[in-house]
Amino acid sequence: MKHLIHTLNKAFDHRVRLGVMAVLMANESVSFNDLKEALDLTDGNLASHVAALEKAEYVLVSKQFVGKKPNTTYTATAAGKVAFQQHLATLEKLLRG
Amino acid sequence: MKPANPDPLAQLTEIRAIMERSSRFLSLSGLSGVGAGVVALLGTAFSMRFLESAFQDESVVGGYARLLHSSAEARQRELPGLLFLTGGMIALAVLVAFYFTRRRTHDGGQKLWSAPGRRLAVALAVPLVAGGLFCLRLYLGADVAMVMPGLLVFYGLALLNASKYTLDEIRWLGVTQIGLGLVCMLLPEYGLLFFALGFGLGHIGYGLVMYNRYERPGAAAKPVVSS
Repeated sequence: MKHLIHTLNKAFDHRVRLGVMAVLMANESVSFNDLKEALDLTDGNLASHVAALEKAEYVLVSKQFVGKKPNTTYTATAAGKVAFQQHLATLEKLLRG
Repeated sequence: MKPANPDPLAQLTEIRAIMERSSRFLSLSGLSGVGAGVVALLGTAFSMRFLESAFQDESVVGGYARLLHSSAEARQRELPGLLFLTGGMIALAVLVAFYFTRRRTHDGGQKLWSAPGRRLAVALAVPLVAGGLFCLRLYLGADVAMVMPGLLVFYGLALLNASKYTLDEIRWLGVTQIGLGLVCMLLPEYGLLFFALGFGLGHIGYGLVMYNRYERPGAAAKPVVSS
């Protein structure tokens, strides 16, 4: 029998990615800076993990300009929300043993 | 690379904490409420004295009742004084609230001007500004008696709206203000008393509850947020 722990989504196998998804579940859309602040991270660290989530199509990135400043916002995709909820459900199942 | 914590309970707890911290401003200090309440009580006393001398009525709610029945000219005459009193109270209350909450953000880690803090400020400000202008128009028009209920109801609605972005107690403080405002519609002559009850005792009461729950040394510390 395949152990439950192997069914945990690999895309969420990191604290930062879990954190990013958690923030995007609780908030409609979040700017890069707010995300960085909420998770207390550096630019490079956050960017690489968000890129991984974007590649998995769990996070949608949209870039606009406010005046001359680039403003990047992130939203969880429907697939991302479902995957994250499944991840949470698996964690809960693991807890119940 | 720091992998996710293998303990599922730790992961779930952390996820929940992040979701709450990123969507709600949880560092609101209960002492802010107590401070604002004390300011409101002092303000009530000053307003009583002010109306007593403006309308030469020494009885407890007399000055206020006279204001309700005064002519449009008399109300215009007293407007600068009343605006000064109200403005002073708001400025002092905001200052006190800001001081205690800032002190808490320093200990608690959540920044005052973070995304949830900004959202909370906007959620409060929109109904408050609209309500303020609405009540100013009531005061200048024929319906002075409805100014106090209006202030209480709009303030309550602002709190109810803002409670999405902060501690749950704020919702109940809002409902209390709305209730007081509605009862005040039936007893307009006692407006100042309702002001003292809502803005004064209401703030102090809920402020103490919040302080006891989250800030008192040895308190349970974790704000409970219903989802």
